[in-house]
Amino acid sequence: MSTNLSRRHLLLGSGMGLGSVALSAMMAEQGPHHKAKAKNCIFLLMEGGPSHIDTFDPKPRLDALHMTKFQKERNKFEANMNTGERYYVKSPFQFRRAGKMGIEINTQFEEFSSVVDDVCFYRGLRAESVNHPTALYHLNTGTQFGGDPAIGAWTSYGLGTINKNLPSFIVLPDTAYPQGGAANWSNGFLPAIHQGTPLRPTGSPVLDMAPPPGVTPERQRATLDLLNTLNSKHQQRHPSHAELAARVESYELAFRMQAEMPKVLDLATENKQTLDMYGIGGPNKDADAIGRRCLLARRLVQAGVRFVQVIVMGWDSHDYIENAHGARIRAIDKPIAALMKDLKRTGLLDETLVVWSGEFGRSPDNGIRRDGTAWGRDHNATAMSCWLAGGGVKAGHIVGATDETGLKGVEVVHPIRDFHVTLLHLLGLDDSKLRYLHAGREKQLSQTGGELIRDLLT
Amino acid sequence: MLPLLAPAAFTQDVADLFAARVQPVLVQECQGCHGASMTLSKLDVRSRESLLRGGARGPAIVPGNAKASLLVRMIEGADGVQMPPAKRLPPDTVAAVRAWVDAGAPWKEAKTETWANYKPEDLWALRPVRTRDAAKTIDSFLKPGPAADRRTLIRRVTIDLTGLPPSPEEIDAFVNDKSTQAWPRLIDRLLASPRYGERWARHWLDVVRYADTGGYSNDFERPNAWRYRDYVIRAFNTDKPYDRFIREQLAGDELYPGNAEALIATGFLRMGPWEHTGMSVEAVTRQMFLDDVTHSTAATFLGLTLGCARCHDHKFDPLPTKDYYRMQAVFASTEFVRPALPFLPAENVAGLAPAKAHMDAVATLAKQRMDELNKLQKQSKDPELFEEFKLYQKHTALYKESLDRFEPKAFAVSSGPLDGATDGGPNLRYPKAAQYKPADIHILPGGNVQSPAEKVTPGVLGLLERYGGYPSPAVPETTEGRRSALANWIADPRNPLTARVMTNRIWQYHFGEGIAADTNNFGKMGKKPTNPELLDWLAATFIENGWSVKSVHRAILLSAAYQQADRAPRRVEAEVLRDSILAVTGELSPATGGPGTVPQINEDVARQAQHRMGSLAPVYRPSPKKSDRNRRTIYTFQQRSLVNPMVEVFNGPSLDLSCERRDTATIPTQAFTLFNSQFVHDMALALAEKMKGQPVRKVFRRVLGRWPDATEERTLKATLDRLAQLNREAPPRPASQPVVHTITSELTGAQHRFVHQEDPAAFEHNLHPSEAPPAVRAMADVILALLNSNEFAYVY
Repeated sequence: MSTNLSRRHLLLGSGMGLGSVALSAMMAEQGPHHKAKAKNCIFLLMEGGPSHIDTFDPKPRLDALHMTKFQKERNKFEANMNTGERYYVKSPFQFRRAGKMGIEINTQFEEFSSVVDDVCFYRGLRAESVNHPTALYHLNTGTQFGGDPAIGAWTSYGLGTINKNLPSFIVLPDTAYPQGGAANWSNGFLPAIHQGTPLRPTGSPVLDMAPPPGVTPERQRATLDLLNTLNSKHQQRHPSHAELAARVESYELAFRMQAEMPKVLDLATENKQTLDMYGIGGPNKDADAIGRRCLLARRLVQAGVRFVQVIVMGWDSHDYIENAHGARIRAIDKPIAALMKDLKRTGLLDETLVVWSGEFGRSPDNGIRRDGTAWGRDHNATAMSCWLAGGGVKAGHIVGATDETGLKGVEVVHPIRDFHVTLLHLLGLDDSKLRYLHAGREKQLSQTGGELIRDLLT
Repeated sequence: MLPLLAPAAFTQDVADLFAARVQPVLVQECQGCHGASMTLSKLDVRSRESLLRGGARGPAIVPGNAKASLLVRMIEGADGVQMPPAKRLPPDTVAAVRAWVDAGAPWKEAKTETWANYKPEDLWALRPVRTRDAAKTIDSFLKPGPAADRRTLIRRVTIDLTGLPPSPEEIDAFVNDKSTQAWPRLIDRLLASPRYGERWARHWLDVVRYADTGGYSNDFERPNAWRYRDYVIRAFNTDKPYDRFIREQLAGDELYPGNAEALIATGFLRMGPWEHTGMSVEAVTRQMFLDDVTHSTAATFLGLTLGCARCHDHKFDPLPTKDYYRMQAVFASTEFVRPALPFLPAENVAGLAPAKAHMDAVATLAKQRMDELNKLQKQSKDPELFEEFKLYQKHTALYKESLDRFEPKAFAVSSGPLDGATDGGPNLRYPKAAQYKPADIHILPGGNVQSPAEKVTPGVLGLLERYGGYPSPAVPETTEGRRSALANWIADPRNPLTARVMTNRIWQYHFGEGIAADTNNFGKMGKKPTNPELLDWLAATFIENGWSVKSVHRAILLSAAYQQADRAPRRVEAEVLRDSILAVTGELSPATGGPGTVPQINEDVARQAQHRMGSLAPVYRPSPKKSDRNRRTIYTFQQRSLVNPMVEVFNGPSLDLSCERRDTATIPTQAFTLFNSQFVHDMALALAEKMKGQPVRKVFRRVLGRWPDATEERTLKATLDRLAQLNREAPPRPASQPVVHTITSELTGAQHRFVHQEDPAAFEHNLHPSEAPPAVRAMADVILALLNSNEFAYVY
C-alpha cells in the first residue's frame, strides 16, 4: 500500500517513543544459552504418519512374511484399528542405495537421493500415541493434550525475533488445517507474540491485513489520523501508562508488517531456474503446491523468521500404500531436494536446522480390509523415520535402527522429549533453562527434562 | 497450569519416575554390594553406563526391554535368583523399575528438594481460615487512596459486573445523583441485571474450559453442553450458594437425585477435551479422563496443581502420589451419560424449532448427496467420487451428533452406566448397569497406564488433615457415594482452601490480580498472598454470608479500595470488546441462553478447510439471522478446533487448559482485527445508519459515553468532511463465492477438489456500504476510529 510510509511517519511523529520500549520488552529473547550454528528452523511436518518401511528404512524380511496372517485380540491397551485379523505387508516399492553412507531409500525419491549426504537419518525416534491429534500435539508441543506452546513458540520465546516486521513463527499449512487444528502452533501460556502465524494459501495471508474491499488508502489514512488524535489526547489524560503507548505503536508495527509481508511472499522475484528446481509450474500439481511452500520457507528464513513449519498432509495410508505414498513421495521429492540445494547454495544451510518428520511411523502389518487387497499400513508409535540437516547436524549418517520387520526401534531409541531437547540444543537453547513460570509451575517443552541425542550431533 | 497438560499415556515422566522411585532403590538396596565399596559379580549400579556394561552375567539393563533386562529379572526372581538376596521388593517398586527400563532407562539425578523439608510459610493455605474480626472492613487492611471520579467509577463497575459499557444515559444519571446512596444503588442495580450472570459465568467457564465440542480428530459437538453454560449463568444470577454450586457440579446426580439443575451441573466433570475413536486406546482415553477430572477438580475448587503427583510424590507440595490416585479413585465409577431431561422453564427454548429446522435442512442435503455419491462411486469406482462420498459421510456423522443439541438431554455423568443413555461414542464398550463394578484404581508409576502398581481405595487429599487439622472423611468403595463424599469434603466451611480460592478469584476479577496471584495454585510454587489476613477476612465473610458470591462483590465494591483513583488501565477482554462493539452500535441481541449461535468471523478463517478423521469438516456457516449472529459472545458456539479469531487475537482463553487469568498483551495483529475486519466495519456502518442525520458529537457520545471537547469536535467535523469527499463512490458488492476445498486422498495420494453445498437458508445480510449514502459511510469511518481508540478499549 502506498501510504504505509506516511502512516508510519504519522504515528511515529506523535510522540509515542515510550511505546517502542514497552513493545520491544515484550519481544525480548531469553537465549541463546550456548553457541550454536543454527539460528532458524524449517520443520517439514508430514501429517498422517509416513511409513518408515516404505521411505527410508526398508525391511526385506517383510517380503518373506508377505500375506502371513495372524490374530490380535481386542484389548484395552490396543486401538480397535490395530486388533482383529491381520496380515504382514511387504513394501510395494523398490529401493536403491544413495549417498556415501549408502542408505537404501525408495527409488521414487529421484531428486532427494542426490542430497542425502547433507542429511542425517534417524531411525530410533519413538512416539507415544497411535492417534493422530494426540501424536501431533505431542510432536509439536511436547504433550498429547492441546494447549501447550509449540516448539516454534518456544524457539521464538527463546531466541526472539530477527525481523520485527514479521512474525517470528510462521506456519505454512496444507490445503486443510491438520487434525487438532491451530493448537498445533499455539503459543500456549507463552506471551501471545510467540503464536504461530498461519499463512493461508488463499485469502489474506495474515488475518485482516487488508481492509474490506472498497476502503481506499486515503480513507484509511484519514480514519487513522483521527484515531491518532483521539489517542494522543487520551494519552495526555493518562500520561504514566506505557501500555497505552504500546497499543498505539502496535498499529504502526501492524502496518509495517502490511508493507513487508507481500514482498516476502512474492515468488515472482525468483528466477525461472529456481522455480523449476522446486517443481513450481511443473506438471505435478502437488509438487507445485509443496514447492511453493518450501520456497516460501527459504524466503521467510532469509527474511529473518525464526521458525517455519511446512505441513504436508496425506500420509495416512491405511490402504493402497503404493498409490498413496507413491504420490506423496513424488510430490515432495523435488521440493525438499530443492530446499536443501537452495539452502546450501545460499549458505543458509549452515545456520538453518531442517527437520523432516511425521507424528509416528507405520506398522509392518495391516488389518484385513477390502478383502485383503488394499495393502496399506496402520499406525505405529514404536518405530518411525525422520531426518535432520543443517547447522550442527551429523550429515551423511544413519542413526539408530528398527527391528527386522520395522515394528520397533531397537537402537539409539529416544522418546519425543529427547528429540525436542536435541532440536532446541541445535538452535542454541537449553531445554532445562528455557522455562516459563505458569500458574506457579515451571514449564518447559520436554515437560520434565530429557536427554540430548548426541549421535545426531557433529 | 493444570496438567490437563500431562497426557495420561505411557511414559511421559519416566525421568522423574527414575529420580523418585528407581534411583532410591539402586542406592539403598543394591549399591552396598554393587557400588563404591564392592562390585560383586563385577556389577556397578552407580550409572547408566555401568548398568549397560553390566557384570559377569552380561548387561544389567536393555533399555526399552525390561523382560530382557537382568536387573528386572533379578528383582522379580524370574530366573530362580532373587535380588536383593532374601528380600522381595514391593510389587510397585518392581513395577517402577520395569516401567523405567521399558521407557528407555533415562538417567536423571534426583533433585534434592522434597516436601519433607518444607517451610511452614509454604503451608499457609492449608491452615484453618482465621476467625473473622467483625469490626474490620476491607479498607482496614489496605490504605486506599482518594476515590476516582464518578464517570470513571461507573465505567469500571459496569464493565466489571456486566461486561458491557454503561450507556450515556446511565452515566449521566449516576454522575448527577448526588445522594450518598448512589453508589450502593448502582451496585444493586448491576448485580440484579441478567447481564451480571453472563459476565461472571464467563470467568467460571475460563477456569473449567467450557467448549461445545470435544476436540481432537473429529471435534464432535457436545450437543447438550450449552445447558451447563446456561446453568452457570443462572447460578451466578440467582446467587446460588457456592457450597451448593460445588456439590451440584461434583455430585449433583448423587446428592440431588431427580433435580434437573444438579444433573446438568455434572457436565463440569466432562469439560476437558476428550475423544475416543477406533484409533485410540481405551485404557489411555479412560486414563486421560481420570487424570483430567482429578486435576480439574483440584485446580478449580482447591487451587492445587496436582500434575506432578500423577507420576511421583509432588516435589513442592505435600501431595504423595498415593493421595493423587486415591482422589482419582473417587471418579472410578464416574461414567459418561446423556440421559433425557426435559427443558426447564428457565431455559430459552424459543429459538430451538427454527434452528433445528435449519440444521435439519443442511443435514438432509448432505445426506442426500452422500447417498447419491455412494451409488455413483459404487458403479464407477471413481476415486474422486469416493472421496466426495466420504466427505458427506463425515458431514452426516457430524450433523447427526450436532442435531442432538435440540433434544432435551443432559451432558452429564452417573455413578455406573445408565442403560440406554451411555455416551462417549460407538468405540466404547459399557457393561450393563447390573453387571457393573467400578474399575480398580492403581498407582501408576510414571503415569504409565500399562504398569499398574499398588491398588488404592478412594479417598481425599490427606494434606488438609495432616497440616490443617481438617479431618479426612471416609470415602465409600461402592459405586455410588464416592463423589458425594468428595463434594462434601470440599464444600465445607472447615475446608481452608475452598472459600479462600473462590474469594481470591472474585478479588482478581475486580482488581486484575488476586491477593494470591496464582489463583489455581495455592501450593508452594504459587505466589504467596500479599495480604493473607485480608484474604481470610474475605473467606470468612463469604462463609458467614451463606457462601453468597454477591455478598463478596458488595463487600469489595463498597470499599474505598475498589473505588480509588489511579488504577492501572486494563484492556478489556476479547468478549467484552466484541460485546461492547455490538452494544454501542445498537446491534447486540438481547436474547439469552439456548444452543450456541454462530457469529460472523473473518471470512478467510470461515472458509478455511479443516481436516477431520478421514475427510474434511463442513464449512463454517454463520447463523442466517442477524439477531443470532449478534448474541453476546458467551452464547456463541465454542468450537475447540475453530476459535473466533477476534476472540483468539485478543488473548481469549484456551479451551483446553484452565485459564485462571487472561493475558492482555498487545500484539500487532489486534490492530488488523479491530481496524480492518469486516465485522467491525459492518457494526460501524450499522450505527452510522441508525444515527443518520445526527451530529457527530452525538455519535461520539453514543460510543464513548461522553461529549467531545471543543478541539475533539473540531477534529471530528473536519475528518467527517474529508471522509465524505473520499466516500463519494460506493464500493461494489462482491458476488458471493462458493467454498472450494481440496484434500489429499489417503487412498490415492492425489488431490481432490470439492465445491461445498450452499446453505439452504436465506441469509440476512448486514448493511452493505453500497446501500448507504456517502454521509453515512463517512460517519462509519469516524465510528471505526472511535471503536479503535484506547478510550474504548481500556478501563481504569
